[in-house]
Amino acid sequence: MGEYTGATADRSAVAAARPVEKWLKRLGLLPWAAPALLFMLCFAFYPLGYSLYISFFNYSLTDPTQAQKFTGLANYLKAFADPAFRIAALNSVLFVTLAVGIQTVLGLAIAVLLNRDRPGAPLVRTLLLAPLTLTPIVVALVWRALYNADYGVFSYYLKELGVHIGRGPIGEPSTALLALVIVDVWQWTPLVALMLLAGLRSQSADLFEAAQIDGASGWQQFWCVALPLLRPILIVALLIRTMDVFKLFDSVFVVTGGGPGYATEVMNHYIFKTGLTFFDMGYAAAMSNLLLVLIGLFTAAYFRAIGQLGVTQ
Amino acid sequence: MKMRRRRRAADVITYALLTLILGFFLFPIVWLLLTSLKPARDAFAIPPVWVFRPILDNFRNVFAMVPVAAYLKNSLTIALGTTALSLVLGVPAGYGLARTMSRAAGNSALLMLAIRMAPPVALLIPFYLVMRDMRLLGTYLAVILLQSVFNTTFVTWMMRGYFHSLPADLELAALTDGCTRFGAFWRVALPLAVPGVATAAIFTFTFSWNDFLLPMLLSGRTTRTLTLGILETMSTYEIGWNNMAAIGMITVLPVLLLGYILQPYYVRGLTLGAVRE
Repeated sequence: MGEYTGATADRSAVAAARPVEKWLKRLGLLPWAAPALLFMLCFAFYPLGYSLYISFFNYSLTDPTQAQKFTGLANYLKAFADPAFRIAALNSVLFVTLAVGIQTVLGLAIAVLLNRDRPGAPLVRTLLLAPLTLTPIVVALVWRALYNADYGVFSYYLKELGVHIGRGPIGEPSTALLALVIVDVWQWTPLVALMLLAGLRSQSADLFEAAQIDGASGWQQFWCVALPLLRPILIVALLIRTMDVFKLFDSVFVVTGGGPGYATEVMNHYIFKTGLTFFDMGYAAAMSNLLLVLIGLFTAAYFRAIGQLGVTQ
Repeated sequence: MKMRRRRRAADVITYALLTLILGFFLFPIVWLLLTSLKPARDAFAIPPVWVFRPILDNFRNVFAMVPVAAYLKNSLTIALGTTALSLVLGVPAGYGLARTMSRAAGNSALLMLAIRMAPPVALLIPFYLVMRDMRLLGTYLAVILLQSVFNTTFVTWMMRGYFHSLPADLELAALTDGCTRFGAFWRVALPLAVPGVATAAIFTFTFSWNDFLLPMLLSGRTTRTLTLGILETMSTYEIGWNNMAAIGMITVLPVLLLGYILQPYYVRGLTLGAVRE
């Protein structure tokens, strides 16, 4: 602190004389971000505020009078009482758990397989990028075709293997959600695998040599050395995927439309349907605010986990 | 001897597993490519036909069924517009946030990240109403604006990281030589950051090109994008998989090539804004 006394005196003199200037100095280069922030204010935060506002109204676009009747918390209470919304919320959480779980385990397995310098490994790495770049809507349509009960290639080979699914994987309520999870697993496991592979690659060989000298088996080296070191990246991968799976829309819209029944209805799709197909804007806004709260909770947990790990890159 | 045999067995298992994995991840792509080249009869054949004489009929059909050229133009316009707007807003923002150590800068960066994590549907509902009131529904601008909301946050974070990794000394030298802040940015920092800007641009272009939800609601009959055009090959009465595959290939090919170019950056780009802190 000692060396700062002069500067502090100086600074307070400046502050007394020209507070605006001091303020500007403290902000430094922040004005450079001002256009972007202003843009966000107009096209992200204003709409979000508007969403909060209309969530307290009964506002239907199909109503010819376009009356907006204040109803207080009615839309929120309606959401909690709405069985379809409850199923959608449950499905969203179930979907996240299943998809992220499978992607993490499978991704880790692929990363370990590709970690050793075998001939062909670089080629496999390159080819694994293809699902990541593919347009999600095309991916969804391809899987819808593959799953088709009558002409679907996937369904056909399942039948050949002796697995009979009545109306096809996406036609039966018991398998439809899992079928959609597989689409997500297909598109995004490579991301998790390649992230974890980068993490494994950055681990120094010395540690493993030391472990080997101490008599650790290959399995022990993985379990006791590689995996704990990988934990920061593992958590980041897990949480990125969690955030993204909460945004799931394209495949639900194209492959199942939320059905059969409500078997694959997730929050995003139900909100979309309520707002932009049935035009019940107040209710849709209330539900999307609830979704934001749910994601906010996850984001907060995420930042805490990252902060605790001190992940920097 | 025993060790070597065990190692060979491990190699065999590894290669078998890798083949299985590649099979799973490449199968749908191979199916898409083959179906786009199949005669309609073979596209629906059960058991599936894998050997056939490839034809281009499906591509011809699609051009007759769907205004592919117009949709391509719309997709390009929206993707380029989004890329331009996101870069103009995001690159200076990234620079400012990288060179400021204040708490306000950290908070604004986090604020932008929060928007990136929000599901598009939550913003889409009120945005739709705002655009309706401004009479912008059905225009390119409506789609470009909302896509830019998400992509500006991406560009800002990416460029913040990039500028952060560049030494500030050169800019400092330029400043002491009498350059203005903008001059230092324009003449010193920006030229050094060109590779980063290019990567951010290609990613933004890809995100916009691949988007489906926002154009579906915000674009109109004359501004419809290619991703929406795909659905037109699948009417309720007839599922033309061969035609869908053909237009799907047209949609996928440019981004697949961009992805190939971007290979070394791809994973980092997709995880951006989360790994960097």
